[in-house]
Amino acid sequence: MFVARHIAADHKDLIHDVSFDFHGRRMATCSSDQSVKVWDKSESGDWHCTASWKTHSGSVWRVTWAHPEFGQVLASCSFDRTAAVWEEIVGESNDKLRGQSHWVKRTTLVDSRTSVTDVKFAPKHMGLMLATCSADGIVRIYEAPDVMNLSQWSLQHEISCKLSCSCISWNPSSSRAHSPMIAVGSDDSSPNAMAKVQIFEYNENTRKYAKAETLMTVTDPVHDIAFAPNLGRSFHILAIATKDVRIFTLKPVRKELTSSGGPTKFEIHIVAQFDNHNSQVWRVSWNITGTVLASSGDDGCVRLWKANYMDNWKCTGILKGNGSPVNGNSQQGNSNPSLGSNIPNLQNSLNGSSSG
Amino acid sequence: MSGTKPDILWAPHQVDRFVVCDSELSLYHVESTVNSELKAGSLRLSEDSAATLLSINSDTPYMKCVAWYLNYDPECLLAVGQANGRVVLTSLGQDHNSKFKDLIGKEFVPKHARQCNTLAWNPLDSNWLAAGLDKHRADFSVLIWDICSKYTPDIVPMEKVRLSAGETETTLLVTKPLYELGQNDACLSLCWLPRDQKLLLAGMHRNLAIFDLRNTSQKMFVNTKAVQGVTVDPYFHDRVASFYEGQVAIWDLRKFEKPVLTLTEQPKPLTKVAWCPTRTGLLATLTRDSNIIRLYDMQHTPTPIGDETEPTIIERSVQPCDNYIASFAWHPTSQNRMIVVTPNRTMSDFTVFERISLAWSPITSLMWACGRHLYECAEEENDNSLEKDIATKMRLRALSRYGLDTEQVWRNHILAGNEDPQLKSLWYTLHFMKQYTEDMDQKSPGNKGSLVYAGIKSIVKSSLGMVESSRHNWSSLDKQSDIQNLNEERILALQLCGWIKKGTDIDVGPFLNSLVQEGEWERAAAVALFNLDIRRAIQILNEGASSEKGDLNLNVVAMALSGYTDEKNSLWREMCSTLRLQLNNPYLCVMFAFLTSETGSYDGVLYENKVAVRDRVAFACKFLSDSQLNRYIEKLTNEMKEAGNLEGILLTGLTKDGVDLMESYVDRTGDVQTASYCMLQGSPLDVLKDERVQYWIENYRNLLDAWRFWHKRAEFDIHRSKLDPSSKPLAQVFVSCNFCGKSISYSCSTVPHQGRGFSQYGVSGSPTKSKVTSCPGCRKPLPRCALCLINMGTPVSSCPGGSKSDEKVDLSKDKKLAQFNNWFTWCHNCRHGGHAGHMLSWFRDHAECPVSACTCKCMQLDTTGNLVPAETVQP
Repeated sequence: MFVARHIAADHKDLIHDVSFDFHGRRMATCSSDQSVKVWDKSESGDWHCTASWKTHSGSVWRVTWAHPEFGQVLASCSFDRTAAVWEEIVGESNDKLRGQSHWVKRTTLVDSRTSVTDVKFAPKHMGLMLATCSADGIVRIYEAPDVMNLSQWSLQHEISCKLSCSCISWNPSSSRAHSPMIAVGSDDSSPNAMAKVQIFEYNENTRKYAKAETLMTVTDPVHDIAFAPNLGRSFHILAIATKDVRIFTLKPVRKELTSSGGPTKFEIHIVAQFDNHNSQVWRVSWNITGTVLASSGDDGCVRLWKANYMDNWKCTGILKGNGSPVNGNSQQGNSNPSLGSNIPNLQNSLNGSSSG
Repeated sequence: MSGTKPDILWAPHQVDRFVVCDSELSLYHVESTVNSELKAGSLRLSEDSAATLLSINSDTPYMKCVAWYLNYDPECLLAVGQANGRVVLTSLGQDHNSKFKDLIGKEFVPKHARQCNTLAWNPLDSNWLAAGLDKHRADFSVLIWDICSKYTPDIVPMEKVRLSAGETETTLLVTKPLYELGQNDACLSLCWLPRDQKLLLAGMHRNLAIFDLRNTSQKMFVNTKAVQGVTVDPYFHDRVASFYEGQVAIWDLRKFEKPVLTLTEQPKPLTKVAWCPTRTGLLATLTRDSNIIRLYDMQHTPTPIGDETEPTIIERSVQPCDNYIASFAWHPTSQNRMIVVTPNRTMSDFTVFERISLAWSPITSLMWACGRHLYECAEEENDNSLEKDIATKMRLRALSRYGLDTEQVWRNHILAGNEDPQLKSLWYTLHFMKQYTEDMDQKSPGNKGSLVYAGIKSIVKSSLGMVESSRHNWSSLDKQSDIQNLNEERILALQLCGWIKKGTDIDVGPFLNSLVQEGEWERAAAVALFNLDIRRAIQILNEGASSEKGDLNLNVVAMALSGYTDEKNSLWREMCSTLRLQLNNPYLCVMFAFLTSETGSYDGVLYENKVAVRDRVAFACKFLSDSQLNRYIEKLTNEMKEAGNLEGILLTGLTKDGVDLMESYVDRTGDVQTASYCMLQGSPLDVLKDERVQYWIENYRNLLDAWRFWHKRAEFDIHRSKLDPSSKPLAQVFVSCNFCGKSISYSCSTVPHQGRGFSQYGVSGSPTKSKVTSCPGCRKPLPRCALCLINMGTPVSSCPGGSKSDEKVDLSKDKKLAQFNNWFTWCHNCRHGGHAGHMLSWFRDHAECPVSACTCKCMQLDTTGNLVPAETVQP
């Protein structure tokens, strides 16, 4: 069903994130080598690196694209405690003729005192906004009031999550029935059994983000979180990468039933939970319709999940991380290395220890 | 290596070999088994590798530690530290004529016998071997030997000579070390510092010490308990790991006073700690009696002194096998590869994966990054083995103009791929609705046309209490059944169900014929039967049995059918009502259910879920009384709404109910495409303005945009504006005259001027009023084209390099293009411009603006503008 193709990335260290632009014709990668690379897809379908530059003075954790109506804009975040906004400049040099594009830093967001672990642009209909989260447990929401001037970003909201944050996801729904919403995951590994996923919703009356929900059942460190593209559904789907893959649905309880002004109430259901990755799950990503979920985990595999018409989720594909096909017997078996399975009290996590 | 706990080592240079040592040394060769079968006698290490035993060496008893000679050696030269403190050089090679021949068997003997704890070859001078020994009050514990030393002191203690087997071997005894360090102390672990050949880091009894061989009287040391397993990070030579009990300490040699960090303590004592040689900052640790290897991924280069950032450490664990692990070894060159050995000497070879990050592109391909590599994976387009995802389906359907056939509406299900029965039902429903709305409008304009789109539920409601039943004779049978008199509404319902055609004629004949033609024998027979024509039903079944694709069993069914008797207690009745449940085809099943039913109770037909909704509803319209029918329709509607079954649109029509139904369909499938097109087929405006409908439309348009199906999006918008004129965007751009400030467009006089609409983009060239060389308001001439220097509004002359010279060809593609050449265009940035055709041809070979001294790169300013719509690329 799927065929993998290797692309020479030429990063000098581990790649931490891959991100596509709105049309899927451009891609950005970021790495521990402190650089970001931008790739353009040729008409023949090959990827060409058209820009590569040093962005931070530490590992770059994440990179993300703004909607093209705001221009060709990227945001990156790093271990160096900053996030940065980048814009492509054309016409100032002959770069284009050499097949290279030129990116300039528009702003550096320096409010965090610790590593900035994730950065995400808000859905287009909210304007040019972005959210960052950091290891000190604070989600920050910035806005560029003037889309023509990307060097001006104002810090609009600071949400304290009380736990070291590892990932954020905006609810992409543009329906007027849904308020802006952001989900935050924490990779805090201390043995307290606190819930690691919190969901904040914007309240029109107070003009603040307030906690709408906490997923009490998720108590293990969370490495990634992703709302599915809403695609006209009446509910939201949230995928979580923790010690397993989990998929939740959040159905807003009709407004007229709740007291107006308060946060939206949700009926939350867990619709799938898979431990096929054996141990930690690192990333989750939805396809454009929110119908296929891809996850990666400690078993070194990429797995694809899809629901049938009965809303039963199943694995529909397995790919090895190095692109080689998966043999039939590789999923179980004693002779094969399986990563950290069935050991209780596994404490795999970011920030496992930090003394000194 | 007390015989029970084997250790394992990869050869530093011959990377397909490793040694397992417990009481003896066993050399193995690793082979890939990807393309070959497992050879006899070889041990499986992993899915795709196996090991073969090459040789065994049991010459050296009492082994305590082993170290592999670091230079390339075909002989597999090993240093073995023994329980008596002697270090013996031994080999696992078969070739005894090599240059190492002299070395093999050489022994290095300390003055006082005690256990040898550790060995370390100098990475720079391959002849130097450091040995760490237990404490002796009169002796040193760190001895550095030169393996090429020929020097044997004259006074060889007699007992040592006796120990060795023969006279010849006395020449192989070396008793004088190059250096002696650490008097009256114990040495537990050793490693050479790569910074300098003469720096040696040793884990002594209660401290870590750095010995400088250039000046042996001095040493740098720090008191600590973590003295075991000292090892230098191969990527950062100042970073060192050591351990004590369950705790690993990481040291920075530049600030040696205390560990820069200690890792979370393990409940059991550690036995081995090793840096990955192929990847920065990855430390593997193993504890006693454990089957997992714990990995610490230190994401950061040690920062210069003074910066107090906390390093980010990702802790992971791997479980290579179910047994406890005795020891492990990183592969010297293969990325992140490791081999482990268990106490009973089973081995396993595996690779530690990097954390994979991944992303879906809007077109169905997945990109992921594993380590430093990128992989792209695309779904194969022509793969039919698995059901395609809705994203792929919608893309293909958009390309095949799904939803846009507004004349033969039913054809849309064929455009959708003719695979989904629900879509088929939906588009037939919409087709009939459209047909009968037009019909109604013709007959009595403004009367019931809107009712048709409201669905059968509303149609049936509107006819409440006007129908009486009458008994009808079965054709060619002596039986009567209650059939409802068909009023106008019921006829309309039957028409929507497709049973009867347009006109007042209530004959199902044409419908039966079309079913027979499509080979739906069973369904046709059932419909014939429901119309009380059992002879026709039998005839149809016979026809089906004799046709090529037909099932011979249909003859049997026909036979059973012909035996119909009206008698209540007959054997036929009894058998049919039980055996019918075994029929696979739902239509055959309901035929017998109908025949065996009591008068007026048709639940066997009405609630057979496998029968198409339209047939069940048509049946209900024929046989149920008004109140029954209402209840039935109500119930079925709710069922359909709940399930999001598109067949139910027949009942709900394009009403609020229909939106509810469509909402559960979208919730279930994500198919906003069908939802949008369906609602745009003929919904009244208030339904169309429903927030949900607008939201589906918005989502679908957004999808088309993301796929760069801009032409499809534009077509969709045109289609949409037919039903919802308010969705038509207002004129976006006006060109105003430089002098009078009025819009230069003639057509603008009819459109109210939108605010401050003076702006940037212009359209002219409509053939009827093509000559506009001056402002219609003030008659001042329009600006000139930067290339031809003629006022805008004059028809363009052919441009050099342009493709077409004659613009007055027929209504062809060329003509359309030629007219585009007349358009005003200019650059937002430098505000220079001219005729579109001229501009395009200029920028075909120029990067900069044609106006003198303007260096604006007008054509490159917009990245999205350079993207090509995907439809033109698609086949």
